[in-house]
Amino acid sequence: MTSQADFVQPPRIAVWLVNLFIPAETAESILGDLLEEFSHLASNSGVVDARSWYWRQTAKTIVHLFGTGFRAAPWSTTAAVVGGYLLGSVVNGLPDKVLSAVTDRYLGYWSNHFQAYMFWATDGMWIAHLILSMLVGCMVALAAKGREMVATMTLGIVLCAMVGVAYFAWVAKHWPMNLALSWMLFQCAGPFAMIVGGVVVRRHRSAKRTQPSGA
Amino acid sequence: MSGRDYLGEFEHIIVLALLRLEDRAYGVTVRQEIEFRIKREVSIGAVYATLDRLETKGYVKSHHGDPTPERGGRSKRFFRVTAKGVAAVNRTHRALQSMTEGLELIRSHS
Repeated sequence: MTSQADFVQPPRIAVWLVNLFIPAETAESILGDLLEEFSHLASNSGVVDARSWYWRQTAKTIVHLFGTGFRAAPWSTTAAVVGGYLLGSVVNGLPDKVLSAVTDRYLGYWSNHFQAYMFWATDGMWIAHLILSMLVGCMVALAAKGREMVATMTLGIVLCAMVGVAYFAWVAKHWPMNLALSWMLFQCAGPFAMIVGGVVVRRHRSAKRTQPSGA
Repeated sequence: MSGRDYLGEFEHIIVLALLRLEDRAYGVTVRQEIEFRIKREVSIGAVYATLDRLETKGYVKSHHGDPTPERGGRSKRFFRVTAKGVAAVNRTHRALQSMTEGLELIRSHS
């Protein structure tokens, strides 16, 4: 006889998050252990308790793996983070330069298509900023082999902390509230895109690892 | 230095759990044994991070069991304490004993 709990799966997002941070060599054991305990809990205490337990384990495990991941290779992770920061500083100015160059070259075209110009000068800049930040995140993740999420998240946290400091030290005091908040959101979108870049590389590597070899 | 290292607090707890569980020691049982004994929720990530560190030091050894359906086709990773690990536990116990000898911890600090 099968109970309802036999069909219950752990929260998919939680499993996905654990998969992002887990070292490849322990992935099978940790995910298997979590699933085994989750199934037992779901049968004995109910699905709600089991899901809540799974989420608690996920949060604690991620925090722990983040810390141990950094401590296991502090120098290479720091080098990847610093490299990413410098690369980010360089590429962040690129969209502005490209826009100025294109504007100068096609001045006649832009004067006839002012709406398009406005799109590139505002939303286009923002999209370019996000794409470049994501590429920087990918580069950092590629450099921090095996610790993709540790490196990109550290970089993201450092950048967000700097934005937070700048916000409270200057922007919030001198700018109107709505402008200051949109500035902060704009600035934090970059670090978030970097983390997304880390996720992309990590998922790609995990997929390659699980593919059967010998093709 | 490695031959004379003491175990850290959590390492000590984990090795004692492995010794208690004998051949039934894998992630789930180790985690549950610690929770049952010290009444503290422990994350599976913390257990594995410590076990991996202990394995690197040569204090424990691991091997994989057969995949089981209740684990989604994943295998269990069983752990056992090596002779070097037992020596480290004994060394840590002796150090703690000699540090606590003569102290009336409960009466003077309760």
